[in-house]
Amino acid sequence: MPRVLLLLPTTTYRTEAFVGAASRLGVDVTVASEQPNTLARLNPAGLLTLDFKDPKIAAQRVVEFSTSHRIDAVVSVDSQVVVVGAAISVALGLRHNSVESVTAAQDKHRMRQRFKQAGVPSPQFTLCSLDQDRTTLAGRVDFPCVVKPLSLAASQGVIRADDRGQFIRAVNRLEAILKREHGTSAASDTSGEGRAQSQVRSPASSRQFLVEQFVGGPEVALEGMLTRGELHMLALFDKPDPLHGPFFEETIYVTPSRRVAEMQEEIAQCAAQAARALGLTEGPIHAELRLAKDGPSVIEVNARSIGGLCSRVLRFGTGMSLEELIIRHALEEDFELPERQTQAAGVMMIPTARAGRLIEIRGLDEAKVVNGIEDVTISAHLGQRLVPLPEGSRYLGFIFARAESPEAVEGALRASHAKLEFVIEASVSRTREDDRTSPAIKSVEDVRCAKAADKTS
Amino acid sequence: MSQTEISITGEPISDAMCRFTVDRPVYPDKSFAFLSKEAAEGSPLAKRLFKIDGITRVLISHEQITINKSAQADWPVIGKSIGAAIRAHLATDDPAVSDAAWENVPSSEEIRERVQQVLDTDINPSVAAHGGVIRLIDVKENQVFIQMGGGCQGCGQADVTLKFGIENAIRAAVTGVGDILDVTDHASGRNPYYAPAKK
Repeated sequence: MPRVLLLLPTTTYRTEAFVGAASRLGVDVTVASEQPNTLARLNPAGLLTLDFKDPKIAAQRVVEFSTSHRIDAVVSVDSQVVVVGAAISVALGLRHNSVESVTAAQDKHRMRQRFKQAGVPSPQFTLCSLDQDRTTLAGRVDFPCVVKPLSLAASQGVIRADDRGQFIRAVNRLEAILKREHGTSAASDTSGEGRAQSQVRSPASSRQFLVEQFVGGPEVALEGMLTRGELHMLALFDKPDPLHGPFFEETIYVTPSRRVAEMQEEIAQCAAQAARALGLTEGPIHAELRLAKDGPSVIEVNARSIGGLCSRVLRFGTGMSLEELIIRHALEEDFELPERQTQAAGVMMIPTARAGRLIEIRGLDEAKVVNGIEDVTISAHLGQRLVPLPEGSRYLGFIFARAESPEAVEGALRASHAKLEFVIEASVSRTREDDRTSPAIKSVEDVRCAKAADKTS
Repeated sequence: MSQTEISITGEPISDAMCRFTVDRPVYPDKSFAFLSKEAAEGSPLAKRLFKIDGITRVLISHEQITINKSAQADWPVIGKSIGAAIRAHLATDDPAVSDAAWENVPSSEEIRERVQQVLDTDINPSVAAHGGVIRLIDVKENQVFIQMGGGCQGCGQADVTLKFGIENAIRAAVTGVGDILDVTDHASGRNPYYAPAKK
């Protein structure tokens, strides 16, 4: 039986989906994480610990492991393990992206450089350092712009600025985020999560950031699979909520896209051109594009599949999940990609509106029975400290819908979300930036009022 | 009743798994999981099903038959053979699962004792390092129901711990165990050891 090595960071949302997919496919599985599983000694063939920060050492460890347990495919489930996944695949001689290509896809500056060299339509950019004088930098920037870290994911640390004052405040805020993400806080955190974070994040580019031209227009996300350099579009998602900033929290994804066929074709060609520019040739990609007045502009291309729990809305062929498709593609040389099931589907990543401690969730049962809703999954746990964008990096949960049309799916997602009420206790410690972006909340009643205000604004 | 009057509905659970619901009981009020062709020896319906190329697991439960297949087999092809096998079986008076199949399975009480021993000696001392605990909730026939608590409840790695740690240890120590089912309300976990983050 073939064996697949799943590279699963301990903080990924994708564990259940990938472990379930591998189990259903009946393949042998070894799970590798950056922290040892407490039961690793009971199953040395199934549970492996790898240093994801050191691809060379990790690859050596897997090569040794493979002498007793042959590995037929390596699947990297999230952004943070794509480089180590490529290094392991190279060491084992498996079909995979090059280390260089996935490294470029992981670093937003290298990505922008590759796009520019290859003529891929994408925002203009400048590489900056937190050590530069911010007032001087602000004088050189064209507005509106977007301040962006090089390596964080899911819009964390991404801030729009429309003038010099906003720019300086955005850079100050980004510096604090990077300090927390790459600095000593994670390393000194003795919880499982803290140890996990200190294991998988690299401080290499923590003083640098990008300043990009803000590109207006709606955004779409393309889910694709590369086979020997050829891109097959698996799904194209519309993002009906406008992403104008100042932060870029993603909410609703709906597929199939309502864009005209010609535009969808243009988007696919643009994504394929971007993947080629990076040198990506194998496996899943997730691309984000803005539809500007003069055509699609590539925001980024990641050498991984869609994040969070969003893949649940995708079904292929006779019911294949995206994770089953990815594992089979990695294992089978001539795997024929099935088409997505045609029914409209969508997901809403429930935004974190306020900072504070989650103390109660109301309306869940009502949200689940809205027509068209398949499920509502709350991934935040009671008692969890919630941090909204741009500092935060977690979703409250996910709403999944399936209906006869994209419009009906979008309507179901919005109706379901409207039923939900998250009771959040105000944070004890607030920064001045918290105060600037969200008024202080002193009680649960304040939260209710704040939510009502959100809905009416 | 003629075979053609038997209605069977196939519901894909995933590409690898499909649940076939028959319009009448196949194995009334009982269930049995056949994890291999060898285990099906002596049980007429399971044996018929395992003769179809690509079938890797058969769960017969009341009026439902859940089948896993290998990646190479296609449902449109084997689905017809599965339907024919079920109809052919129902045309006989043979039992779906033979009494002999159960002879190799320890009693529920034996399974309960052995699983509890595995939890006490191998599992819980280890998961306690993450503030976790695994409880044995019930054993019905050879199905084992467990619950994950403490740091394991709602943990982002709970599935890995379950499938690659707990299941592996139980199956290695206790023969004849069927499905191992996690009945934890993970959404209510207040202190998961690993909380997922969008990276």
